[in-house]
Amino acid sequence: MRAWCIVLALLVAALAAEGAAFAEEPSRAAGRSSLTGVFESANVAASRGDHTAAISSYGQLIEAGVRDPDVYFNLATSFAQSGEYARAILNYERALALRPNDSRASENLRDAEKALEEQRAEIEGEATIQRSTSISDAAYGGFSEDSLAYGLLVTNLIFFIGLAWASIGRRRNRWLYPLLITSGVLLLTFALGLGTKAGLLRDGPRAVALDDRVILREGPDPRAQVRGEARGGDRGEIVDRDRDFVKLRVVSGLEGWTPAAGVGLVDSHHDVH
Amino acid sequence: MRILSLALLAIATLPWAPTAAAEPEVTVTLDAMPTEARVGDTMQLEVRVRTRGGRIQDLKLADLQKYPELEIISHQTMRPMQFSFGFGSGVRMESSFANVYVLRPTAPGTYKFSPAVAKVDGKLYRSKPLTLVVDAGVGNAHGTVDPAAKPRAALGSEMSGARYDPRAFLRTVVEPDEVYIGQQVNVTVYLYARVRLSPQSLIPGKPSMDGFWVQDDPITSLQFETVPVNGTQFRAYPIQRSVAFPQRSGELTIGPPKISFDSGSGSLFDAPQRIERVGVPVTVKVEPLPRPGPVDAVVGNYAIQARLDRNTVKTGDAVTLTVDAGGTGNVQDLRIDLPPIVGVRTLQPAIRDQQRFAGGKLSGTRSWEWILIAESPGEHSVAPIELQFFDPETEAYESVSTPALSFTASGETTRQQQTIEPVERQPRPSTATFGPIRVYSALTRGEAPVREQAWFTWVLAFPPAMFVLIVLGAGFSRRREQRSATSGAVQRQLIRNAESALHANDPRGFYDGIVASITHALDSRLGEPVAGLPHTELRRRLAAEGFDDDLMQRLVNELEGADFARFAASGVNKDEMERCLKRTVTIVERVQRLPRKS
Repeated sequence: MRAWCIVLALLVAALAAEGAAFAEEPSRAAGRSSLTGVFESANVAASRGDHTAAISSYGQLIEAGVRDPDVYFNLATSFAQSGEYARAILNYERALALRPNDSRASENLRDAEKALEEQRAEIEGEATIQRSTSISDAAYGGFSEDSLAYGLLVTNLIFFIGLAWASIGRRRNRWLYPLLITSGVLLLTFALGLGTKAGLLRDGPRAVALDDRVILREGPDPRAQVRGEARGGDRGEIVDRDRDFVKLRVVSGLEGWTPAAGVGLVDSHHDVH
Repeated sequence: MRILSLALLAIATLPWAPTAAAEPEVTVTLDAMPTEARVGDTMQLEVRVRTRGGRIQDLKLADLQKYPELEIISHQTMRPMQFSFGFGSGVRMESSFANVYVLRPTAPGTYKFSPAVAKVDGKLYRSKPLTLVVDAGVGNAHGTVDPAAKPRAALGSEMSGARYDPRAFLRTVVEPDEVYIGQQVNVTVYLYARVRLSPQSLIPGKPSMDGFWVQDDPITSLQFETVPVNGTQFRAYPIQRSVAFPQRSGELTIGPPKISFDSGSGSLFDAPQRIERVGVPVTVKVEPLPRPGPVDAVVGNYAIQARLDRNTVKTGDAVTLTVDAGGTGNVQDLRIDLPPIVGVRTLQPAIRDQQRFAGGKLSGTRSWEWILIAESPGEHSVAPIELQFFDPETEAYESVSTPALSFTASGETTRQQQTIEPVERQPRPSTATFGPIRVYSALTRGEAPVREQAWFTWVLAFPPAMFVLIVLGAGFSRRREQRSATSGAVQRQLIRNAESALHANDPRGFYDGIVASITHALDSRLGEPVAGLPHTELRRRLAAEGFDDDLMQRLVNELEGADFARFAASGVNKDEMERCLKRTVTIVERVQRLPRKS
């Protein structure tokens, strides 16, 4: 029991040290106050219905390195309110990537998809947006990547402590083997979840088609033969890059090269378009 | 990693595979639409078996042959099949088999059908029995109509809003045709046809409805009602249904509807004929709202409620005020102005609408969400919000209002910020479903995810690395203990050998044992063999290992004494050997206890 207390104390101390390392530096705090001003002015513009100004201000925040779910949410809402639904979908996806349990963002994402489909159906008769429906996304959709990473660290520690105890301990308690099995299963689950989030089950970062018609070509050249097209709001993966072109694979399996400007990456730590 | 993950997923799905072999779920139904009709009308009789996981072998409805009075106009067989995949259910095949008969009764009576019987995987399953009632008389009976459609009597008896044609014509039915401004008008366009039409070829054209705000009530399937017109039976198909709210008074005209469709005898040898029809315009008389009355009254019947999401805040923090107004009427006409609140900054509201059709009437709820930011401490009151409306049912003005609400702000007065004035007073319908904008954000900077931080790998690798070290250390320690235990056993055996020699009065054997015992103790202690070392060298090694002078002297003396005695064994008596044994045991114990020099 005393050994467990020591382990827990060490863990808490390690986390506290980590927290101290991430404590806000004065320069960062100063930068934040100016960012707050930009954020407030963006909100004022959005409240006035001046979506162009709001989008511009939220864009400044993102260019300044802010990767905050609320900023992405507001940017997405401004895009949605100005009728740019594909960009709204991209930014709602980014907000959800950072905060998966944001029910309002999920709701707005569905509304934006519906609005885009209706808008397109009105012109073309029918419309469907290609969405990702993988089992792993459904299973781990409610967890953020960081929470899975922390879960992996904690279960990893518990599992190996239990394993060490089982290997060398002279006295084995009844709960040791259930603890080992549970922590082992959790360890695998967190590892699989983190791998999924990190894109190990994908061939590239997640992306959303932004232009109404994203032409997919055989090669990274505007003169290359056309393979097909993705529509605004369609989900896919970026499987390759070449200069200003990216190779987009949409959910249906169709893939081809298209200018990078017509595609947005969901994961915020990748390049932002 | 990817292959490992896929393998894990595959393994995880294995336990569910055996469920596919479970008992099939079987449903047998026997339905008719309608179950009561008149002679000459058509009735649709459907017998269906659905199964999940089983194989349909047979489906029988024996009693259908029993009633020749029920003429079978058409018979259709359907056999859809689908596969479902799901957690806990594995891969399951769902299939169904249905026979759909269109019947025309030729004689009145009560027709009782015993249960339909289906055979699935060799087992028999039965439906519920069914009874059809057929009354005397021709046509004019219950058809398969939409509940919101106009009553059958009105369809047949009045022919306003139509230009008669013996084959097919369009009719526009408006209810009511005299209304107040803003009051709901139901507009339904019917196609009356005596010809066989192809539903897929139907292309309706909407009538123009200038001066109205229109909400369509979509028709999802083409159904008809049989009605007599000028003594001839027509099928009346509702093809378009809308609710319209007049936006100005006077006589408003609903334009003529249009339609085109293919008609044919159904024979393979007859080409379909394209038929086009245009209806007639219909006029709606719109009265202004009675005077005197409130200027900003809307039309309908509404209730209103308001709530705050919290009652105490700090200055600078936000409270959400939600107002819901719901009832019958066009909720998109509703306007609410929030009176200014001193010491509180009010952001533009987010507006959401929910509309639905119920009993042919449009009703719904409009919700406003205001963000109120307290800028000064104290109690802030939200005045009652009043909504005035004109109820066309009672033809009277009414008013509803919310109770006064209040919340308390604590803290210091925040700096006065620019008041947000709305650019447009009219909310944009397209923007109402998004938001609301979030006024607070942590403005988190773009840091790499935890898994990409340098420390993550180290922290992740630490427990397994420590585990390996601990296990290796434990193994090493165990091995050393084992070796030590082995060494001790050998030592004890050597002493016992010496004792045996003593008892056997064998001085040579005894001193061999003494030398072997001391040498073994020193070998184990120094980790190297000492036999053959000159005593000076042995002293140097023992001194380097931390042996004290007394112990070294005793060891050397004992070894020298033993060597001497081994070669002059006849001069040694038993007492001397016993003393030597005791000294040796003491020396060996001292050697073993001596702390090791690191």
